[in-house]
This record gives sequence, structure tokens and C-alpha cells, in this order.
Amino acid sequence: MELQEKITILSGAARYDASCASSGCSNDTPRRGMGNTSQGGICHSWADDGRCISLLKILLSNDCRYDCAYCVNRSSNPVPRASFTAREVVDLTMEFYRRNYIEGLFLSSAVNVSPDHTMEAMVRVAEILRNEERFGGYIHLKIIPGSSPELVRRAGLAADRISVNIELPSSESLKRLAPQKSKEAILAPMKLIGAEAGASLAERRKSRNAPRFAPAGQSTQMIIGASPETDLQILRLSQGLYSRMNLKRVYYSAFVPVNSDNRLPVLSAPPLLREHRLYQADWLLRFYGFSAEEILSDDAPNLDESFDPKTAWALRNPAFFPVEINRADYATLLRVPGIGVTSARRIIAARRFAPISPEGMKKIGVVMKRAKYFITCSGRPFEIIDQQPARLRQRLLLGDGSEAKLPRQLVLPGLG
Amino acid sequence: MNKYLYDGTPEGLVSAIAAILDSGENPEKTVLSVRQDTLFEEGLFLRTDSALAEALFERLRQRAPDAVQTLWYFTMAEADGLETSLLRYVALAFEHGDRVNGYLTHASVKAIVGTARKAGRELHRMKGLLRFEQLRDGTWLARMEPDCNVLHPLARHFSRRLRGQQWFIYDVRRRSAAHWNGRDLSFGTLEQFSRPELSEEEKAVRQMWQSFFKTIAIPERKNPRLQKSNMPAKYWKYLTEKQGE
Ligand code: SF4
Repeated sequence: MELQEKITILSGAARYDASCASSGCSNDTPRRGMGNTSQGGICHSWADDGRCISLLKILLSNDCRYDCAYCVNRSSNPVPRASFTAREVVDLTMEFYRRNYIEGLFLSSAVNVSPDHTMEAMVRVAEILRNEERFGGYIHLKIIPGSSPELVRRAGLAADRISVNIELPSSESLKRLAPQKSKEAILAPMKLIGAEAGASLAERRKSRNAPRFAPAGQSTQMIIGASPETDLQILRLSQGLYSRMNLKRVYYSAFVPVNSDNRLPVLSAPPLLREHRLYQADWLLRFYGFSAEEILSDDAPNLDESFDPKTAWALRNPAFFPVEINRADYATLLRVPGIGVTSARRIIAARRFAPISPEGMKKIGVVMKRAKYFITCSGRPFEIIDQQPARLRQRLLLGDGSEAKLPRQLVLPGLG
Repeated sequence: MNKYLYDGTPEGLVSAIAAILDSGENPEKTVLSVRQDTLFEEGLFLRTDSALAEALFERLRQRAPDAVQTLWYFTMAEADGLETSLLRYVALAFEHGDRVNGYLTHASVKAIVGTARKAGRELHRMKGLLRFEQLRDGTWLARMEPDCNVLHPLARHFSRRLRGQQWFIYDVRRRSAAHWNGRDLSFGTLEQFSRPELSEEEKAVRQMWQSFFKTIAIPERKNPRLQKSNMPAKYWKYLTEKQGE
């Protein structure tokens, strides 16, 4: 088979989030503070779906033995099959890197022959790149569930980031939709990676020459909307992964229906709005000091479609507001809808010079659309603050307080 | 308002700012601009004095290193008409040190920091969007037409990343070029430029990249508007994946 054709098959198979290749690619731009890569992630292009291309994201093989319900590559699907040799992937990575098309390689694979057989082939690609080609770019390897600890270790030593897909938000769903993958086969390598990374950090504190283990950390990914879990269940899971497993990122990907299967829900389109809301809620967990239980509750276990999760929280907690921007501390400022990390920092930096006036807020670049309903400036409100949550909801929805551009959505926001 | 003029060179600008600050004039009540060729000059012309300019830079580096960094990005943006803002920004930097960049409620600080950020963003963008092509003789060439003059820092970035290759980066708009010979970086200008022939291999690799680019997008999520807002069309001219579309 021509190389060109293999690329088409194996990158095409990698693009669907519901497969072994998955990762919320748009956010998976490599970040590391070492070597020749720059601090922030670098995007090299943006694909026709608007997502950032930073890595050569490709499968080593799509010839799968498994039959996961949600995946294009499942063994029962009549799709063309292809596999790369290790050399082919190495050469492609090097040629693309030399032309500055990419930051590096993101390699995954379908389960070809056995988990260990596949994992070994993937690890070899990374090892050839590092040892023979002296490749200094970024490498992300997906771990095949069920691979041996030895291969997981080798993967971690060669790659910047390794990740195991958690796939679905509960073990029941996993049993139903991906019967050949077990919860244990997924969690065991995750734990091992956590332990190895911790040990490597401790070693490196003693000696700078100790080997690095997956210096960019561990991430995971799950498919949203292929199974019945609530957003609260999903956020609790993420919260646990961040706090107990020390994960760097959890990616959510809207289920794209590629197969018809009576175990799968029938969707008219991928649940992109839900994916978007989950990412917003995930930010609140990681950077804004919220807990899953503050964002959602057993009575209201799903994220609001009309409002971002922070605005929804603010509407449920009117007693917290208004926040006085010339006095509130950083953590409090972060709770104001429309004020993010950058705005909060800028407010604190600017008010050292003089109290910030309403015009000042605009000057420093704070977007007031939503914030204006929740703050005062030296005691003066921006808007007559309506303490009636129902009316405030309406104003936020009807007025200019709603988000400018929502991603394509399934359900139009209704008045709450 | 006190009005001052300078000769329009970057050095003249710094030296004029130094002269005004030394004079004890209140910068908030002072205006600085380029001398125009008109019959009636409004304002006092300040002659360029390199020693004065250098001394100012040295003092600022001590007092507010972040502000010097901001100035460096600001110059890359090649913005016109912001001399007065710059004067006031520098004065505030001496007064407040590096905290000055947080004083965004001050119009001059906002103008300078905002302009510097624009250059910083484009530099970051070009680190991703620059494309190298392999030439017949095995060297590499990248062409670009950025709004800001980002060639120097960009070339330094690639001297670390692609240190094993010999390459040129050519800024078509400014006719300036950077050359890395595998060991040293040098800069110059090119008056005449025609693109040399590409290597045999180049064509094949380009095709592979174009196939990858096409297939990696999810058809169900096609979103040309988002693509354009992330990657404005003005950068497409030299993007391999956007050729022949
Ligand atoms: S293991 Fe499952 S998700 Fe992975 S490629 Fe095979 S069928 Fe798809």
C-alpha cells in the first residue's frame, strides 16, 4: 500500500474522538518548560473543523481485534485496514518536524494482535526517534489498556506525555460498550504511571541526571454522550482523577455517532454544547477553586445549557454578590461571572495605583457583559442590581449578558 | 502643553525621551512627535544623542527589566504616533518599576502594553505558522510577511529548534533575512529574491502533509469560521497545507 494511502486511513481513523486515538486535540498543545520548546503551547495549523493542529496525530494501526461499540475501527466494521512500520512513522515525524509542520508526534493504535504486541511497536517508534534520530520534539504515547508494566515504563521514559483513556465515565458503561476493556486494565497503568512519575521526580531532586518519566504528565479522556452518566458523575470522576491520581488534564469528547448499534443512543449531532460546558466546569475545578458539589447537586445533576457553570452558580448564590472590585481578594474576584484569571490579575495590579472606576474596568480589558450584574466599583453598582434571581436570569439571557458565540448546539437555550 | 520634536529614528526617540526626563519637565504635560517638513515647526527640536539614549536604557534595565522587555516588543510592532505615550510610559516605569505594566487604567500604559502584546502574539503565532521548504542543495527556506518585525526573535527560536539544519528565514515585506549555518545566526537584507528550486523529496512530503491536514478534520464538525479566526487568511499565502485549495 502507498504511504499516502496509509496516511489517509490512519489519520482519518485518528480524528474521531471516540476511538483509541482520542484526545481533546484542540487543547492538547504541548507545554513544557524545558529544552527547545517554548513555554506556551504552539499551534501549527488549524484544521477545517477549527481545531488546532500541533502534533502528527496518527494511529500505528487501525486493524483492531476489539469491538468497542462507539469506535469506527472496531473489528466488526467493514473499513479499510492499514498499519505503519515503525520506520514509516519515524520518517514522517522527522520530515514534518523539519518543515515546522508539527511540534511532535501523538501516537496511538488499535489493538493489533495483543495489547503487548501493539504497545511494544509503539514504544519502539518513540525509542527510535529519541535514540537514533535524536529527536527533541514532543512525543505523546497512548497506553493500550492491558499492556505490561514493563512497556508502560519504557513508554514513560521515551515520551513527554503518556495517557490511558478512561473511555467512559463508569465501569458499567465500559462493560456494556467496550466489553474487552476492563476497568482494571485501565486503572492499573494509570496508577503505575502516577507512581513512576512521582518516583522520578523524587530521584531528580537528588540527582539532575536521573531519568525523566513522562515530564509533561498524564492525561486521560472520556466520551460524552454515548452512555447515560450525569454531568455530576462525570465531574466527580474528574475531580478524583485530579486530586488522587494527579492527572494533568481530563479531556471530554462529544460522542460522534459513527456506527449504528442498538447499545448506542441515537443523536442528531454530537453533543458539542455539553462538551463545551464540561470543559468550562473542568476549568472551575482546576483553576477557580470550585468543587464538583458546588457546581452541581443531586437535585440538578446536569450543567445548564443556557448559562456557563460559573454564571449558573452565581445565580444560585445571590448572597455572595455584589463583589466590590476594589477590595475583594483574588479568590473572590474569580467567582464573578465574566472575570477570569487574566482579568482578576489585572484588577489587582491596576488598583494598586488608584481605585478602579467603571471606565477603568473597560480600559484594563475586563469584559463587562456578564460581570456588570455582579459587582460594585467603590460602592457604586454598574447596573441596578436586581436581587431577584428570576429577573436577573432573564436579563442575562435576553440582554447582552449571554455568550456571544456558542458552539453549534442541539437544543436552543430556553428561558429558564 | 510643552511640545518637543525628534528626527524620527528609534535612537532619536530614546534620546529625546531621556532629554525630556532629565529636564524635569512633567511628562503628563508634554507631547513628543516626529519633526515634519513643514515651514512652521511647532515645538522644540531635540538633537539625537546616542550616549544619552544608551544611558537611559541602562538605567531602565536596572529599574524595570520587564518594561525594557515591553519596549523591545513595542518596537517590533513598528507603530507610529505613540511617542507621547512612550514618553509617559517610560516616566511611569522609572516611578513604579516593573509594576508599571499593571497600570492599565493609564491610557499611555495601555497603549504601549497593548501594542507590545500584539507583537508578542504575532511572534508566538509565527513560531507555529512558519513553513520551511527543502531546496535542491539541501538547505531550507521559510518565507513570511508578518505585520510586526519578528525576524530576530523568531530566528533565535529556530536556531534552537532546527539547529541541525541550515536555513534561511526571509521576511518578504521588509526584504530582510536570517541565516543559520548550523552554528551561527546572521542577519541581512536581500534586494533581489527569487525562490530557488525545491528538492525532489519536498514535493512528496508536501503531499503527505496535505493529505494529513485534510483528513484530520472531523467532517461532522466542519467550522471554517473558527478556522479563519484562529488562523487569519493573511497567513495562508505561505502555508503548505493551504496551497492549491
Ligand atoms: S480498542 Fe476499541 S476504541 Fe480502540 S481502536 Fe479498537 S475498537 Fe476502537
